[in-house]
Amino acid sequence: MKHSLGRGLTRREMLKTSAFATLGTLAAPSILRAQTSELVIGCAGSHTAWMESIVTPHMKDTIGADIIFEGTKSSVNLEKMSSNKDAPYLSVVQMDDPVMIQAVEAGLLTPITPDAVPNMTDLRPDATHMDGMWCNYVQPWAGVAYNTDKTDGVPSWTALWDPANAGQVVIPSLQNTEGMWTLLSAAMLGSGLHFAQAQYEIDAAFAKLEELKPNLLTVYSTMSQAFNLLEQGEISMLSGNFSSYTLPRKAQGVPVDLAAPSEGIFAMPSGICLVKGGPNPELAQAYVNEMLGPVMQAAVADFASSVPANTTVTAGAIVPEGVPIYSPDWSFVASNRAAWIDRFDKLMAI
Amino acid sequence: MIARSNRIALLAVPGLAFLAIIYALPLFLLLFKSIQGAEGLTLASYIDFFGDEFNRTVLWRTLRVALLTTLLALVIAYPTAFAMARAKGIWLTVFLVALVLPMSLGVIVKAFAWSILFRSNGFINTTLQAIGITDEPVRMLFTETALVIGAANVFLPFMVLPIYSVIRQLNKSLPEAASSLGATPWFRFTRVTLPLSLPGVVAGSAFTFSLAISMYVIPSLIVGERQQTLSMLIARSFLYLRNEPLGSTISAVLLAIAIFVVLFSSWLAGRLGARQ
Repeated sequence: MKHSLGRGLTRREMLKTSAFATLGTLAAPSILRAQTSELVIGCAGSHTAWMESIVTPHMKDTIGADIIFEGTKSSVNLEKMSSNKDAPYLSVVQMDDPVMIQAVEAGLLTPITPDAVPNMTDLRPDATHMDGMWCNYVQPWAGVAYNTDKTDGVPSWTALWDPANAGQVVIPSLQNTEGMWTLLSAAMLGSGLHFAQAQYEIDAAFAKLEELKPNLLTVYSTMSQAFNLLEQGEISMLSGNFSSYTLPRKAQGVPVDLAAPSEGIFAMPSGICLVKGGPNPELAQAYVNEMLGPVMQAAVADFASSVPANTTVTAGAIVPEGVPIYSPDWSFVASNRAAWIDRFDKLMAI
Repeated sequence: MIARSNRIALLAVPGLAFLAIIYALPLFLLLFKSIQGAEGLTLASYIDFFGDEFNRTVLWRTLRVALLTTLLALVIAYPTAFAMARAKGIWLTVFLVALVLPMSLGVIVKAFAWSILFRSNGFINTTLQAIGITDEPVRMLFTETALVIGAANVFLPFMVLPIYSVIRQLNKSLPEAASSLGATPWFRFTRVTLPLSLPGVVAGSAFTFSLAISMYVIPSLIVGERQQTLSMLIARSFLYLRNEPLGSTISAVLLAIAIFVVLFSSWLAGRLGARQ
């Protein structure tokens, strides 16, 4: 027996229609993503400018890929990969080395090989990690960004602690990879050792960080907002900022510059990887090959004032001369980072 | 033949199915995660959460900010709702547009706008110094005061509209009758108008408090990482500490507070309605 719901609509028909509508709604993203030319790339939010203007049009022209990029923090990209491990929707992710290590340990990546990505043979030897699990594509350098109207420069990391700068300093949270640079500087100053040894002196680092609190206006996790404070002159120094962000703004005439303190600067660990089981694997490999190739390397390195990883390319950032550049023990960072974030948040809380 | 009420109830099937899949199921999984231990069910995550002074401080701050936001929004919204209820024609349109239009502006844009206002050389500090209230800039950026002002600004429509809808339906002859019996304006307001408008106040407060206690983007942008709230702790637990039991536990605590607010406000609204 059919029960009519109003004019000619039976209960069974209505339930069937509702079920199809629900399934259709839930299935729509998969149907839409089934296009073969589409690649979803996870990357940093700060990459938006050059991803939009350089990478997306280049990939359309050369490999026919329609790029959809999701700009966020490396940790969020890791969570997206981890949560969708059984049905990944990201094909390629560009994120920082310590998070790459976590992704490898969680079995989320598939190796990049010279057969599928020939341009990786032109990279510096130290740009390929863990048997090709990921490669560094460009490396910005990190120091202290400052407002040129408020200060003449930052000759030493000790300037962050100078009482004259009370309320004039903003540092990144340890949730952000660039937050590591302030922690390492605190370790260096607190322990009296060089960066290479000081990076393991974490108690000394946290003790020194506590002394920094009177100078802090805030601790950021959203860099664009913190940088805005620097540009507007609300603060004089932004610790741990890097060449791919500060120098393009300087070139646009904004009163900011990036200082290379005499004790040393840091190499930002920008990596690219293939997601295990990700959609369109051949197109994803072609994308990575292009990113490591000379055209993209030169274009991105120039735009983002970074050091290219491809040895055939001479372009990009000029690393300050006479200042040592450090890259920390990322496996040590990766294995301790969660505990450090917890400790850092509790130390900085007001 | 199926009963008419049952047939009408079938119309709710798509909505219920949607809520069951998108809301109830993940919520159940989240709650289960908060009591799941290596050797069976446990309350260890709750004991850890409440045993940590940092977490208790964040919980108290979250409640305090939500309460202050609700109070500030109420103080601004109550007279505004009265003005709207009395307004007619173009003025009513102006009020409604002024109330609803800012909702289309993203919170991020608003946060940047507030940072311009709150800066040491921003409009508020410049004005305070120009009229001689202060000699030097007052720090307002990254303070709890700025957070409460910003949150009240965002959630104001959720307080105004429920109060407005109740006041608009008030029987105008009741205050007039009180007046004809010699009641003073203050007596009329406190004994007639205010009690009749309380259901709207309760509904608006429940909306605003629920939104304020669970806000994430607003505190992230206005006070940053040094003054975390429960929602920021949830994100931190899942994304950075990769501690799912802790994140699930904080989510359950937040949910319990929200459920309490909804149930309490429903009970209060029912009681006030019965009294009237």
